Amino acid sequence: MESLIEELKAKIIAGFNLEGVTPADINPDEPIFGTGLELDSIDALELVAILESDYGIVILERSVADKAFASLRALAGFVAANRT
Amino acid sequence: MSRRAPVITGTGIICAAGCGVASVWDSVRANRSGLGPLTLFSSPRYANHLVGQVRENVDELAGNVRGSRSDKLAWIAAREALAAAGLEAGFGKINSERVGMMLGATVGGMLGTERFLTALLRENKHRFGPLRFHECAGAADLCAKKIGALGPVATLSTACSAGAMAILAAAELIEQGEADVMLAGAGDSLSRLTLNGFGSLLLLDPNGCRPFDARRTGISLGEGAAMLVIEAEETALARGAKILARLAGWGASCDAFHATAPQAEGRGALAAMQRALERGQLQPGEIDFVSAHGTATPDNDAMETRALKKLFGAAVPPVSSMKGFFGHTLAASGAIKAVLAVQSLHEQAVPGTPGFEVADEKLGLEPMRIFCALPVEHILSNSFGFGGNNVALIFERADSSCRSRREEAHSKKSSSQSLLTSAATKRGFAILGIGAVSAAGNSLMEIATTFRNGGATISPFAIPTLSPTEQAKVYAAGEFGAEQFIEPAKRRKLSRLQQMALVAARKSFNFDLADVAPEKICVAVGTGLGSLTDTAAFVENMILKDERAPRPSLFTSSVHNSLASQIAIELNFSGLNSTPIQREISFETALWQGATELTSDRAELALVGAADELNQYQLVAGMRWGWWPEALLKIRPFAGALKNRERPLPGEGGAVVTLGRAENAASPLAFVSAIRIGRSENQNAETEARWILETLARDGIAVGELDLLLTGANGLAQPDDFYSAVAEALSKLAGKKIGCGAYMHVCGEHHSASAFGFVTAVGLVRGEIAPEFCTADKTALPGACRTVVLLTFSPTGTKGMCCIRA
Repeated sequence: MESLIEELKAKIIAGFNLEGVTPADINPDEPIFGTGLELDSIDALELVAILESDYGIVILERSVADKAFASLRALAGFVAANRT
Repeated sequence: MSRRAPVITGTGIICAAGCGVASVWDSVRANRSGLGPLTLFSSPRYANHLVGQVRENVDELAGNVRGSRSDKLAWIAAREALAAAGLEAGFGKINSERVGMMLGATVGGMLGTERFLTALLRENKHRFGPLRFHECAGAADLCAKKIGALGPVATLSTACSAGAMAILAAAELIEQGEADVMLAGAGDSLSRLTLNGFGSLLLLDPNGCRPFDARRTGISLGEGAAMLVIEAEETALARGAKILARLAGWGASCDAFHATAPQAEGRGALAAMQRALERGQLQPGEIDFVSAHGTATPDNDAMETRALKKLFGAAVPPVSSMKGFFGHTLAASGAIKAVLAVQSLHEQAVPGTPGFEVADEKLGLEPMRIFCALPVEHILSNSFGFGGNNVALIFERADSSCRSRREEAHSKKSSSQSLLTSAATKRGFAILGIGAVSAAGNSLMEIATTFRNGGATISPFAIPTLSPTEQAKVYAAGEFGAEQFIEPAKRRKLSRLQQMALVAARKSFNFDLADVAPEKICVAVGTGLGSLTDTAAFVENMILKDERAPRPSLFTSSVHNSLASQIAIELNFSGLNSTPIQREISFETALWQGATELTSDRAELALVGAADELNQYQLVAGMRWGWWPEALLKIRPFAGALKNRERPLPGEGGAVVTLGRAENAASPLAFVSAIRIGRSENQNAETEARWILETLARDGIAVGELDLLLTGANGLAQPDDFYSAVAEALSKLAGKKIGCGAYMHVCGEHHSASAFGFVTAVGLVRGEIAPEFCTADKTALPGACRTVVLLTFSPTGTKGMCCIRA
């Protein structure tokens, strides 16, 4: 799980061009969006596209995304359970 | 003034719920949804989604017209509206110069462009044909040509409120006296781009939308068109036309909040509704029915409910959302609702809300479930678009006595206030600052240097999809300071075109805005083609990956009005926000909208401009067609060197100018007045010279004051010879030599070039650019260049002008 969390951190930093942000800056137990990273709802949807491209997880409903993005730890659990 | 009150005399409609007003009204009566399976194109990802597809054969219904599906839908609705108004055989005693067209659009010919890109990317086939109908302006051009309209003709794109925005703009033109009859509305077809785009935002409900329902999850995408004949009351009365309803009030606002999400408390929506009431001299209690935007996304319906409760308190009138009948038809939505509002006033009955079953306790608002008889005198119709572009319209029963209230209020104002610029001082509007991004430089000083050097540098542009070895030659905008003006966290979310427009906007004022209320700042920034690169990237991804993982950020920047709305979001300007998309006169249309807001006092400042960017696909077609000759590298206006199919080299760039009322301006750069848009057929230089003379005269400018006509001359015999002939005809009228100038040799040819022309004109009247660098004969003018008319024609005949003075 911890390695998946690190992998997701790297994808978020690269996917959103977060200049100057290091993996250590991201707290895995905080909400991913609407906090210190300055990521907004469009970024959340971009992360949905990344999950589909990289893990084959298709999300079509916002309620599913909202739950999955509660924290990076929650997201790692979601990816582990749903990846194809 | 009251005689100029806008009234509706004809309506037309085509959508999934039926073809023709009578047919759609039958569906409405029966509460019958027109949503069904998608068969127009195949979509692996959304194959099982219900959509509002028009089932009739659109090509056949449209008859012998060429255009995109959107264009044809618009023409079908336009034809019905004209027939209903008794104008199908022509305009009789009404001069065609008094007949105009104002349309909304957001999809345009995207469906055809997707077919082109699919053939290219999947099979390497070069079928460029559909690209001719790509542009959203196609519908307005087609309809204007069919009916011979020679008044103001333009297209506005404010995403899902565009149809309502077009109706609002048409009403302004009627009140100003710029036109007597306007055809207003919108048409948008289904497309894979919009289906996948809304899908990428997780805003689709596969089983059909459920507006205001507790279980709602999103929209059903639809397509269609609706048109209204709107005319001045005096015109309708004079020709004995039946008045179906009145357009009593209209209001626009911008959330200035987010690219796609509405501001949760409905601040902007409320402002638009309040402005519409104020304009109509009406109290909230006089609204009998609300035709909600009601898209059935969780956020929209919650926001709209909050805004309605703020406006109406405990007494919210009956509300319906009609999206369940025909889906969300994007730009057409506001126009379709307008037509149905007129029908409701006529029938004294209102539609229900198909799809609504379970009330949402959190909303505390239950819409009308089914069709029912209801005495209605005033209907409020809401339209909200991406970028927080809100428009509210109020329709009034034809025999309502409330109109006398408006007449009284209007008569208190001076009668001259109906004309566009006379409310400002005689000098026109003050140009308070300019911001530019271009191949010629990004400041007036740099641009002046480029003029002195005889034009900008041509640079190569890669076209990897067509040919990895070939390169196009273009007038590219180089570095324009995005890093300096936009912080990294914001920059990464904006397309290159959005960055160009934002940088130009930020540079267009260098004074403190603290004293100006945000709602008093209007933004109208046009574009011919929008963020092409991001749009193409979204569609490429969709085609090559079979619709897997659609990219939401590319979709949001593909929306034309992301240009103006992101400026409002970044700078917190919440006045009217619009993105005109009328080919070469997108800038002039933006200028007219900004001037209208200033004249009416709704805005203290207006940021107006236009921007366009280069993209490989646009270049691919031109290269194949042999447009850009190797031998003739630079654009040479008036040289007549281009032959046959050859075209001037393409360019890109943008400019934004900040305008204010002249009497408030401390140190303006220059002044602009005589702002007008129109259309011409069978171009005749004397006719155009008289049009310019008349427009100048309205603002108290004698043609003899004119020193230079600055034009869109681009090196082609047509239009260059025509522009020269107009300058000659003006010289005859003025009894003195009026120079004829050009600017495209400095910025390249593109749809927003005339915005650059405006900057050039400011440089000319300030003495920073010498006229001999613009004119054909390279000779200096006899005196100083103090007064310049900027004149622009598009190849489809639409035109725009303004006068820039020192």
